[in-house]
This record gives sequence, structure tokens and C-alpha cells, in this order.
Amino acid sequence: MPKVDTDGDELEVNLTNNEIEQIKDELKRDPSITEWGMFDVMHSEHCSYKSSRPKLKLFEDAEKNYDYVLAGPGQDAGVIDIGDNYALAFRIESHNHPSAIEPYHGAATGIGGIIRDILCMGVRPIALLDPLRFGPLKDNPHSQWLFKYVVKGIADYGNCTGIPTIGGEVEFDKSFESNCLVNVACIGLGTIEDFKHAPSRANNPGDYIILMGGSTGRDGIHGVTFASRTLTEMSEADRPAVQIGDPFTKKLIIEATLEAIKTGYVRGLKDLGGGGLSCALSELTGDGGTGARVDMGKIFIREPGMNSFEVMLSESQERMAFIVQPEGLEEVLNVFRKYEMAHAVIGRTDDTQVLKVYDGDNLVVNLPATALSDAPTIPRKEKRPDYLDDLIAQKTPEQSKKLDDIIYELIASENICSKEWIYRQYDHEVGVRSVLKCGEGDSGVLRIIGTNKYISSSVGTNSKHCFLDPYNGSKGGMVEICGNVIANGARPKAMVNCCNFGNPEIPESFWYFAESVKGIADFCRELKIPIVGGNVSFYNEDEATKTAIKPAPVIMIVGIIEGEKNIVPLPFKDVGSDILLIGKTKAELGGSEYHSVIYHLEGGIPPLVNEKEIKLIWDFIFELYENNLVKSNHDINKGGFIIAIAEMCFKNNIGVNLDLNTIQEENLRDDELLFSESVGRFIVESSKSDYDKIMDLGRKYKISVKKIGITTKEPEIHINGLKTSNFTLNLKKMKRLYDSTIPNLMDK
Amino acid sequence: MSIKIAVIEFPASNCDLDALHVLNNVLNIEASLVWHNHFKEKDYDGVVLPGGFAFGDYLRAGIIAAHSPAIDEARIMLKDGRPILGICNGFQILTEAQFLPGALLRNESLKFVCKWVNLKVENNKTAFTNRLNVADVIDIPIAHGEGRYFTDQLKELIDNDQIVFRYTDEKGFITNDSNPNGSMDNIAGVCNLEGNCLGLMPHPERASEAIISPKGSTHGKLIFDSMIDFIKRRSK
Repeated sequence: MPKVDTDGDELEVNLTNNEIEQIKDELKRDPSITEWGMFDVMHSEHCSYKSSRPKLKLFEDAEKNYDYVLAGPGQDAGVIDIGDNYALAFRIESHNHPSAIEPYHGAATGIGGIIRDILCMGVRPIALLDPLRFGPLKDNPHSQWLFKYVVKGIADYGNCTGIPTIGGEVEFDKSFESNCLVNVACIGLGTIEDFKHAPSRANNPGDYIILMGGSTGRDGIHGVTFASRTLTEMSEADRPAVQIGDPFTKKLIIEATLEAIKTGYVRGLKDLGGGGLSCALSELTGDGGTGARVDMGKIFIREPGMNSFEVMLSESQERMAFIVQPEGLEEVLNVFRKYEMAHAVIGRTDDTQVLKVYDGDNLVVNLPATALSDAPTIPRKEKRPDYLDDLIAQKTPEQSKKLDDIIYELIASENICSKEWIYRQYDHEVGVRSVLKCGEGDSGVLRIIGTNKYISSSVGTNSKHCFLDPYNGSKGGMVEICGNVIANGARPKAMVNCCNFGNPEIPESFWYFAESVKGIADFCRELKIPIVGGNVSFYNEDEATKTAIKPAPVIMIVGIIEGEKNIVPLPFKDVGSDILLIGKTKAELGGSEYHSVIYHLEGGIPPLVNEKEIKLIWDFIFELYENNLVKSNHDINKGGFIIAIAEMCFKNNIGVNLDLNTIQEENLRDDELLFSESVGRFIVESSKSDYDKIMDLGRKYKISVKKIGITTKEPEIHINGLKTSNFTLNLKKMKRLYDSTIPNLMDK
Repeated sequence: MSIKIAVIEFPASNCDLDALHVLNNVLNIEASLVWHNHFKEKDYDGVVLPGGFAFGDYLRAGIIAAHSPAIDEARIMLKDGRPILGICNGFQILTEAQFLPGALLRNESLKFVCKWVNLKVENNKTAFTNRLNVADVIDIPIAHGEGRYFTDQLKELIDNDQIVFRYTDEKGFITNDSNPNGSMDNIAGVCNLEGNCLGLMPHPERASEAIISPKGSTHGKLIFDSMIDFIKRRSK
């Protein structure tokens, strides 16, 4: 890394030589050591999106194109108007690198950060969701350690702050072994006025700048620079770059902040996350067109002897910056006093458009407010990896095991089995809003108390599909996560994403990113889903082993259900119902769990996505809902439709009698038929008497709707109509396998 | 008469708004959220210590809150027979303040656990169970990391009928499998000798409305209803 030197101090910076020269040119002088540190942080990939910004332009301007979008990309969180004077804020981001080094505090502070982002929008955080990725657990103590402590970190932090964790997703794959992915998502709810009250900028000269919350310490210095490099064997030495969380203080910050906003005197609000004070102050003033004069001596520090470099760059957790109207200063400070929260007036805004920080009489920072946020972009090369053709050409081997044994093996596999071990540790009910709780539906469903409106949300992606075809795989992730909220009765309203990829300086890694962004953008444009925010995590690559993670463009969808009666459950409800398969099953076993679990195969032809067909299926499903034709619904995901059916059987111990003759026209092998992961499909339970009506609607939308069986009293799954032999699965055995995999691995 | 209930808010209580919601909107009772330093007993007919992580559960769950001025105020209510309900963290505070016997230890699994359980009513002569019958089995969720009840006075508790709820299976049988945290004798809730102070680990405020109850039951509401009935009878 290049070194800069000022007044005899030498500093290693993560800047290119071009950037260094450009900074000197603009300032017409050499920056001070503190200023260099600030540029280093603000120009890091994590803060500046310098590699990703050119690609992210593909995401359309949601605020312009959708009238219900109140805040779009580039803000702390996306915000949408959901009617009845309510604003819904949501965001997802990564905390991968810290969690890979120190899983407990890494995950906990990830939760802390995402809560602050939502709080910044002036609304109360009401739910968390956590998509996680690790190496396989079996025979892997390192993966088990990461998994155990990431879950515990999320649980301890989320539970204490009183925000329920209502959903999540987890994938286990070798490529995540040393680079686990910890993505955290949060939803906030408030009135439209709450949201409008507290923009993340300082628009008015003469306002007070107040720092509130935890003290500023030496932890987390250069956390973002650390997140913008690959993990090396040196990373253990980076442990001081991982912050320590304090959920107790965070809970008080939430209450004090919301109460302070209610005074009406808070004019701007910003959390201190990556880049600490330097980032918060430059964004508040830069975006607001003001400047500020800050007295470093007023900042309460955790230990004596911290210099300006450390103070300005510290990423100590649990801090918020407030911009407060002078006439309301006392009232706001009284709120902080009530909660016994440390606070200090550290400066005032002015009209200079320059950010000045004084350490005593020394001017240690003197930068145009926008200088830090105007990081240049870097064009990156893209190249499709050479190995992909061979991978995609891989054929499914001749079926060597009996189908029933394969299904038992699949249902017990780490990626398919029950995730109850995780969500039992999360308080998923605090707030008394959780209507469909963890494990009860494809999505988490929350009520909005005092209305008949419900929020449905889900997160995830399929990294195995994305690895083989990032363009279609990312679209497939959209289909799957939208499918989750649709299955529970919600129209997808908006999305945010968290793109987890390898080193952008490597053309193959960057190609994966570029293709994924293109896939998501194309899909969202076609299906009219506004993209209201995103986060990019690059450098998820292990330098020691030269392995990058499988691409993980994680999607978060929120949808709205109008009316309690329109919430659709997952479990089969009645005996004697029709079981319908919606959508076509194709020979798409590439990247499937079947390939991976049974044959340890990564390749094959992954699912393609046809947006036109997906749109018709969605419209069809909503017409079924409008006519009350659906008893239960589950979207088909990993393992294929047979796994989805088993999951619907479990809760009410209802069996099924399947006759697959009706779906044989595609001439698929039995294993292709059962285990294909073709996207956009649903299993719907409906009344026998509604069969004709439903088939008519299917013809109207020109989509594939097939009755494949009926529900039965016997707790068994009978499968008839295959090319080879018919067989029967024991539900009790399936449930035991489904439930016991993770506890057996973790609680021994 | 208009009944006034205080829901005490300690720093990092987090089920305070939930209890308030149930009292205000489900039972239509005049309940208010009161910051722990501001609480004055004379203004209230009863008090709820809600769940959460008061003072971050730092040092030991409930111990710091047990030294809050709010507890000194509540002690006056305890003595004159007004009802005091401690839910989850509130129960931990009540044992630390020695309003109630015993202690809540780390769950046997060493993990936080959030799930719906069944409780059997063991004593319906308290201020909080007069709407229930002995041996009723109720649905209610738990969410705690430190809920393993322990006491060195088990015999006295049994003899004095101070055990109010036990964890059971759906049919009301006390089994090991139905004990979610390793509590002694499957104890989920205990009261003081007089029956005007109850602490329980499960969350009645999460079981008071059918929409958020997996089986559509509202058994938790009966605990609040009982408390209100008790206040009404007392005032006559």
C-alpha cells in the first residue's frame, strides 16, 4: 500500500497513487495526517462504492418512477409510503469481514449498525432479518464456531434491544468457509411526519451539532478500510478493527432518539457507523450545503491521550449525531438527560461549506464539506470465468440410489433442514406484531397495530445458481424472495439488496457482480419493483487459499397485505384438498441441492428466468386470492417441489397422495421431475369444488396449473405416476430428519 | 372508579409498550408508561414490571433494577395489598428485590429460548389467576435466557401454595420434555404469601390477542383480567 507523509508522520493508506495526487491537487496542499486518514476511509470501497457505482447506475431512480417511494438509494435506508399515513423504512447491509474474524461481536455490531440506519430515518425499528452464509457444519469445527457465535451475537443484541428477529435465511457452502457472510436487515415503521422530521443532512447554518451515546474509543479504527481488503492471514491482527457492541446503550439510544425527534427541534440526524465522525460530519454538511466548526475537546473519549486521527476515525459503536435548532437545544438535551445518555454539543453548523475541526487552537481538519464524499469511481474489468462452460456442461449422473432414500437424505441436508435451532434463540415475538412467526410461513408477517394492514418480508438468494449463471441466478433470487411474500398473500412493494462478491480488482469476480446487478435491474424494471437501497460488500476472498465466495446478491423484499383474511398460511389445512403445482418444471438441476448433496456436483444447467411467465403466474395467484380459492400456499425452493410438499405436511400432520402422471409431458427423468429447482413455482392447496374455476383461470393466464394429488389423513407421502417405481415416504421419519440435523451437529 | 395501572419503564425494558398496548387497547384500562425514576405509588392501583433487559441485565438479570427507587415505591404497594405483576425480566427483578422467593438462573441449554409453551394453573386464589381454574392448561410464549427457577425453600412454597404456574405438556402433565429451561419442579411462576405479587417467566401480553396466537387462544388476557377484577373487588 502507498504511504503518505506529513510533518514527519508516515501513514499507510489504501488509496491509489492517482487518488493521492488528485486530493493534493484539489486542496492545493498536503493534507494533515488526520485528513489523510479521513480521505482513506471515505474513499474506501465500503464508503465510496468506487468500483460498484458505475454498475449501480442500472438501478433506476425509484423516487422518480414510483410515487410511493419516499427515499431511495443513497440514503441511510429506503422508505416507502404504505398508506394510512404510515412510512416503512428498510435496509440491508453486510457485516462479513468483522464476523469472519470475531463472529460474536462482528454479528452483534452488524445488528447495531443496521438499527441505527433505520433510526436515522426517524422511525422505530420493528423487525430484523438475517441472511447468513457459512461453510458446511458437518465435521467442520471452524464453521460450527462461526455459526454458533454469529447466531448468539445476533440473538444477544437483537433480543436486548427489543426488536424481534422475524426471519432470515442460511446457506452452507464450502466457499463461505473462511469468508462467512453475515447480512443484517431491519424494518422501521413510523408516520409520514416522523420520517419527514429528520433528514440526514444539516441544511441550516447556526444549528448545534450534538454527539449522543457511547464514548469515542480506539475500537474499530479503520474498520471500513479493513472491510475493503481481502482476508489474509494477517487478519487475526486486525481484531482491534472489530467494534464491541453494547445493546443496552443501543436500546436507550433508540428511545432517546425517538423522543428527541418528537420535540420537533431535531433538524438532522446521522448515525456514526463506518468512517465514524469524519463520515457523519462530512455527509451531514456536504449533503446539506453547509459547513461546520467542531471542537474536538468536547467529544467525550473513552481513554486519555487519543489524538485527532483516532478521534475522527474511531468507529466506536452506539453513537448518533444530531443537528438541533438553537431554540430547542435545552429541550433536546433534557431528553438525553432523562435517559442518562452521555452527550455533548461539539460544534455548530455555518455557511462556509467547509468542515473545520479544532484540537485546542490547532486546526486539524480544514476540508471542503463535499471533498470527502466526492470519491472518484474506478472502472473495473469484467471477464466471464473460463471454467463456467465445463461446469454447465456437467451431466446429472445415472441415478444410483433409491428415490425415497434420496429424499430422506435431502430433507436432512444442511441447506434444506429446519432452521429452528437458529430462530428459537431469537426473540421473534417482542413488539406483539408477529402474526406469522419464524417457521410458520415463507415470510415473516407483522401487523400494524391499529390498522388492518400487514407487512410481509423475506430475505435471501441462491448462491449456487448465481455461481453458474449470475444473471439468471440473481433474477431467480428475486423470484424466490418475492415468491415468499406472495405465498403469504402480499404484493411485493419494494426491494433492497446486499451484493456480496469477491475482489472487484479480479475481472472474473467483477463480472459476477456486473451480471448480478444487470439481472436484478432487468427483473425489477419488468416486474415494476422499485429498488430503494443497497449495499455492496466486495473482497470476500481468501488470499491464503485464493478462493472467492460464491456470488451472493442477497435480496430483501417487503410486501403489504390488506386485511387479516388475506394472510395465506403455509401448512396444509384440510384432508381431501387438491394439491396444485403452479408453474413449469424443467430439466434444471444445475446448482441444485440434489446435485450437491447426492453427487457433490456443482455444475449442470441452472434455472432460467422468464419475466413474462413469472408475471403471469403472480397475477394468476393474486386472482386466486381475490376469489378466495387458496387454502394454503408455499413457494418451491431448494430441493424441488417434493420438499415443499413435505414442509406443508408437517405442521398439521396431513399426508398426501400424489399422482405425477399429469406432469409427465415434459419427458423428464424422475429425478429431474422431483428435484429440479425451476424458479417461480408454487404448491397451492385448494378445495376440490373449486377445481374447474382454477383451471379456467390457469388457461386465462396461459400458465401451467396441474393437479398433482390430494391431501390425506394418513401421515404418509405416496408418490405414484413416476417412470420408475412408485414409493411411499413416512412423514414422521421425514420430520425427525428435518428437525434433528442442526441440533445433532451443534448440541452434541 | 377508574382503575390506574403503571407499567414501569426501566432503562432497556422492552416489553413495556406491549404490556401497555394490551392494558390500553385490549382491556381498555387506563394504564401509563412511567419512567422508573418518576414512579410514585400513590397514583396507582396496580403495577406491571414488564419484560426486557433492564440495565442491560448487566451484573445479573434484574439486580440493578431491584435497587431503583421504583422498587421502594412498589414495596409500599406490596405491603398494602395492591397487585404487582412481574413478567419475565420483571419476575427476575422481583426475586432480586426479594418480593418473591427464589432466583432465575441461566437456562439449562445455555441458550435463549423463544417459543410457545403450556402452563398448568396450580393456584387460582391469587390476584392474577382468579379468572382461571386450578388445572387449567393455558397457551403462552416464553422468551428468555435466564428463566431456570431455583429455590432452596421448595417445600415451603408447596406448603404455602405459592407455586402459581408449572410448565406442562398440552394435556397438563408435568414432564421433562415440557420444561423449557430446566426450572426446578417445572415452576414457571410464583407468588408471595398474600397472593398480590406474581412473577412469571412467560409473557401474558403476547398471549392476549388471537391474531398473534398460533392457536388463536387468548389465555394471557385472563391474567390481566384477573388483576383488574382483583382491583375492583379491593376497592369495594
